[in-house]
Amino acid sequence: MAITVKVLERPIEEASYLRATLGGMARTFKHMVNPHKVTVQYPEMRDPVSPRWRGTHRMLTTETGAAKCVACGLCPTVCPANCIKLVPGEDAKGNRYPLVFEIDEFRCIFCGYCQEVCPEEAIHLGRHYENAEYSRAGFVYDLERLTAQTHPVSQLWDPTDPAGE
Amino acid sequence: MCLVEVEKAPKLAPACATSVMEGNVVHVHSPKARDARQGVLEMLLINHPLDCPICDQAGECELQDYTFQEGRADSRYQEPKRFNPVEDFGGDVLYVANRCILCTRCVRYMDTVADEAVLCVSERGDRAVISKFEGEDLTHAWAGNVVDLCPVGALLSKDFLNKARAWELDRAASVCPNCTQGCNSVLEVRDNTVVRMKPRSNDAVNQFYLCDPGRLDYRWLNRADRAEQPMVRSHGALAPVDWEAAIAQAASLLKGNAVHVLASPMLSNEALFLLGQLVKAQGGSGAFTVMTGPEAPLSGVPDLALRAERAANVRGAELLGFAKGGNPLAGLTTDKVLIVADHDVSHLDATALKAKAVIVIGTTLPTALSHADVVLPIANMAEEEGTFTNLRGRVQRYFQAKAAPGLARPAWFVLSDLVAAAGGAPARYAPGEVFGALAASHAHFAGMNWEGLGLSGALPAGGAA
Repeated sequence: MAITVKVLERPIEEASYLRATLGGMARTFKHMVNPHKVTVQYPEMRDPVSPRWRGTHRMLTTETGAAKCVACGLCPTVCPANCIKLVPGEDAKGNRYPLVFEIDEFRCIFCGYCQEVCPEEAIHLGRHYENAEYSRAGFVYDLERLTAQTHPVSQLWDPTDPAGE
Repeated sequence: MCLVEVEKAPKLAPACATSVMEGNVVHVHSPKARDARQGVLEMLLINHPLDCPICDQAGECELQDYTFQEGRADSRYQEPKRFNPVEDFGGDVLYVANRCILCTRCVRYMDTVADEAVLCVSERGDRAVISKFEGEDLTHAWAGNVVDLCPVGALLSKDFLNKARAWELDRAASVCPNCTQGCNSVLEVRDNTVVRMKPRSNDAVNQFYLCDPGRLDYRWLNRADRAEQPMVRSHGALAPVDWEAAIAQAASLLKGNAVHVLASPMLSNEALFLLGQLVKAQGGSGAFTVMTGPEAPLSGVPDLALRAERAANVRGAELLGFAKGGNPLAGLTTDKVLIVADHDVSHLDATALKAKAVIVIGTTLPTALSHADVVLPIANMAEEEGTFTNLRGRVQRYFQAKAAPGLARPAWFVLSDLVAAAGGAPARYAPGEVFGALAASHAHFAGMNWEGLGLSGALPAGGAA
């Protein structure tokens, strides 16, 4: 038995694409006279990042220019990615300070726990996202590099102020 | 800090100083008891600085633990805290007065256990601090224990200062290898490096204490110039080979020859037992010498002292047939094979180390033994499991704390392979198996078993020797 195919007759206003085309053209012409710009002319122009943006680290310094870090060891302990290397030492005045403080930004997952746990408010994540390097070794930031960076630091999420106001 | 509520008692009782009576009902966590403890804690914290991040005690601090468990979340104290400078107490001890809570454990320890009153509480009221008597210093050989006794970070070890955080350390139960007393200890390791040795309590040996020379002499466990590869002499020079070839070469050198063994008294009972078997099978002799130093007793504990003989297993080496003292090379003739089993040769005449063949089984290869025919690298006591016999005959186990360098293997492993290759008992693959064979063949170890030794060791069946 031959198969019969039932062909539905659709009303012309549904079958025609003329209406949709006109709708699309109308939107296009509307944007020509009243543009809504999405594209940013990077790097000449940049979108602002959130104050809670978590980017590459900064080590804050005291008035004398020394790192605030006292080598307490809490950030390598709390770090879930195990990316912080810390060797504590003692300076001439008997103060504890980090002999070696390195963060492997490749391993870092930018969770911000190190900033949250730091009792001295020394290590911070930065509001910064341009991290390109010419070598893999360049992504291991030592203390000198961490203290030399000047980008603004991240403001972590505060549960009592969830909107960050 | 230990106030508890006892029913029918008029007031809260300090648990540590109250004896239990028939029908007592004690409430440890009642609101009244909690409030009282919180109050005591608040007082203790009035002058205690909030410097846990830079304090060495953080992580093993009793005050920190109590505060975390049941302290107030904030401080109500507005006035400036007391300040006193850091003072060097001599010996290995540093006193950080600001952190002191004046429990006077250190004063009482020096007074009653060390029997040398060096420390006292000077000044009164909120000016009170721990200080030394005029002209005295904490140089007593057992003074370092005040660092362990201190519940806070007021007394610190200068050796350990700023070296590591308490929570980063891997710990292994061990036995102090630095004298024949055999104090139970804990080796604390960070990044495969021993950073501290602390006492481990054993009422029958050292109670809770460890002497300063003992606890500070751990650096040799980390030495870097170790023998790391088995080597065999070929065409006049030592060349690295694999273990099978080195053992086979050593066995072929031994074939048909008598031996003279220089056995280190730092080797485990298991290693010495296998060396003894080798001597017995080949014929020959075994000897050792031991470093000595002044004896330093701790008067508050019976039969506890830093002993004159500064090696852990002198008694074991003697029991297992090695002759102590004199000239350790006395039995050596040029028709024998010399086996140097980690024995210190720095004080021996290098020209006398001549033999038909020289086999070095050691943690290092000293220059005096650079003419060795076979070098078999072994692990040191922190890198293997084993047992030591202390001067009273107590056999105590120690556990592995860190990894051995390169291809080095535990001494019992190497020697059991060598004994098997030389035609003796088949190779054994666990230190417990070697110990089992030792217990089956030697009266002193009879009836002991590896698991049964546990963490506190065992005396021979006949009692203390």
